[in-house]
Amino acid sequence: MRKLSVAALALAVLCMPAWAFAQESPAAMVGTYDALADAILALKQAESDFVRSLLVHHFDAAHMHHEQGRPEEAARDMALFANEGDNAVAGVRKRLLDGGHHHNAAGEAAGIYEPGYVIVTRAAKESMLAAAAAMRQAGNEEAAQAAWHDFMEAASSLLHPEE
Amino acid sequence: MSDSRLQGLWTGLLLLFVSAGAILPTATTAIHFVDAGIEAGITLVTWHGRSDKPHLLESGGAGAALLDYDLDGDLDLYVVNGWRLDGVEVVDRGGNALYQNTGGGAFVDVTAATGVGDRGWGTAVAVGDIEGDGDPDLFVTNFGRDVLYRNIGGRFEAVESDAGIDGWSSSSVFFDGDGDGDEDLFVTGYIEATLEEVLQAEVGLRWKNTEVMRGPFGFEGLANRYFTNDGSGHFSDATDVAGLDDPGLFYSFGVAATDLDADGLVDLYVANDSNPNYLYRNLGGGRFEEVGLWSGAALDHRGLAQAGMGIATADYDSDGLPDLFVTNFADDTCTLYRNLGRMAFEDVSAAVGLVEPTFDPLSWGTVFADFDLDGDLDLFVANGHIYPQADAVPDVKTSFAQSNQVLEYVDGVFREVSAAAGPGLAVRESSRGVAVGDIDNDGDLDLVIANMDARPTVLRNESSRLGEWMIVDAPAAEAVEVTADGRTWRRQRVRGGSYASSSDGRFHFGLGRITGQLDVRVIWPDGAETELPRVTPGQIITADQHRE
Repeated sequence: MRKLSVAALALAVLCMPAWAFAQESPAAMVGTYDALADAILALKQAESDFVRSLLVHHFDAAHMHHEQGRPEEAARDMALFANEGDNAVAGVRKRLLDGGHHHNAAGEAAGIYEPGYVIVTRAAKESMLAAAAAMRQAGNEEAAQAAWHDFMEAASSLLHPEE
Repeated sequence: MSDSRLQGLWTGLLLLFVSAGAILPTATTAIHFVDAGIEAGITLVTWHGRSDKPHLLESGGAGAALLDYDLDGDLDLYVVNGWRLDGVEVVDRGGNALYQNTGGGAFVDVTAATGVGDRGWGTAVAVGDIEGDGDPDLFVTNFGRDVLYRNIGGRFEAVESDAGIDGWSSSSVFFDGDGDGDEDLFVTGYIEATLEEVLQAEVGLRWKNTEVMRGPFGFEGLANRYFTNDGSGHFSDATDVAGLDDPGLFYSFGVAATDLDADGLVDLYVANDSNPNYLYRNLGGGRFEEVGLWSGAALDHRGLAQAGMGIATADYDSDGLPDLFVTNFADDTCTLYRNLGRMAFEDVSAAVGLVEPTFDPLSWGTVFADFDLDGDLDLFVANGHIYPQADAVPDVKTSFAQSNQVLEYVDGVFREVSAAAGPGLAVRESSRGVAVGDIDNDGDLDLVIANMDARPTVLRNESSRLGEWMIVDAPAAEAVEVTADGRTWRRQRVRGGSYASSSDGRFHFGLGRITGQLDVRVIWPDGAETELPRVTPGQIITADQHRE
């Protein structure tokens, strides 16, 4: 029975007019792929938004500690901001990289981003880590303010890219 | 030859000497090592796969341990062995070896008599006392099932245990993670792999225009595990409940356990290959918190992850806090993280002169030790590339076999003195694990280095002595302080460290030119202290908390 069906299908295909195989991709499939592209791009944007919210979390925590005169605690959140999270987040990043996902592939190739980083550039990371180290060792209010100023300079443009 | 031409020749030669003197390294040192391996009877060749190393497993090598298994007062040697492959065939299942020290640094093979010749593909060894009965037990990590050996009066028994990883476990360390007085166990995992994959592997990664083994990128990491001890040597997996999980499945190699923030609790540091390092702060009550990325000890000064291999831990700058030195891949520096206190670290590699001497080699096992007894801690670094193909690449400064290094600490800077440190430093192998200890009980520190497809190197210390020494044998102590002439030296217990190896557990002090006697203070895990006043230097003393 199955052999008969296959033979009938083959015969039907052979008898089809040429116009039935127009040399273009099926419109319905293109439409589906287009919708999928929307989802893929939206997902990438969602990844940006999510990582930025993670940065906001560490920024707010660092700011609070700084305002309350706790430079060591502020330095920790500044460092976690610079690293786009802790080693648990780095683990997620590694999993995405292992799966072939590079959020900023072109930026990585150009040396602007570290592999898997979404928001924080290499240059910003280095300067923010230096600021975190300065904050950690700040012996007085003035030194802490200077460290915070340096951190803010790099961090604010990452948090508010449109400004 | 006319007088003027002769004079010109002499002048030219003089200038040549002067300029050569200006260019060539002029480092001199009292440190002097000789290779005493064959003389000592250490002849086991340790195998690690095939000569062309097509799989990553064949690159990791193994380690060694210095321990006094028979409690006769001198250090014996345990050597870990891998397998030898030929094509897709296993042609030699190696077998680990235990060498008994018969005194003065001579050894005899007692593997068969003691029952510790495990024939798994060995990677590392940890030493600990799992039942608290006073004799050292062994944990051997393998590619495959790990083995726990219980010491029963100088003979060993492989015990059934839930401890360990069935895969490529790369290192392990015994330490009291939950503060209950017994030794728990942490085991690092590197990558997921099967023997079939290893046997069928082919080179395939393009590196400097030649084909080499693949990895570690592209391989799935193997999770680290932590096992708590019930006090009788029975272990249970407590990785997740303790917070010692491996969230990134990073490629872990070396591991060291010591109290890094002076709170009386033992913390844990893990060197990760090509990923940020882990630093687990012990919170007490058997709970840990991973703080690597904010501590400053996970990345280099640029904020970049390096290819961590081995770890040395000691207070190199005598500020009372143990610092961390991590060895890394070739074409990158090893990194010295200075401990600033309260779990904050600063990469000071450049400031202490470590960038230039550590950039070219691919480095593995490493230890801090005062080799010339001048009162400060020097560094030893074992080197060797992972790619045998490096020998055929003309633009590579390094080769598969590399010289090991001694970096002497002088006036706040580590100075490369390897070329002047005796024939032992001229040995070129592809080295991996390193263990340090006073093998001949003469007061200075010797070294054992595990090599790839070669016998271990045993470096006997024949340095000119620049001072007095003291060894305190206190297996249960957390730290020992020695005071003389108004200066205090502190040595804190470090478990594990180096690479895949375990060193002499006694506390060794080089003291420089001191006059008179010493005051010794032994600090126990519960915070209690034992004072030993007016001790004469130049001897090995023992201390036991419950036998004052």
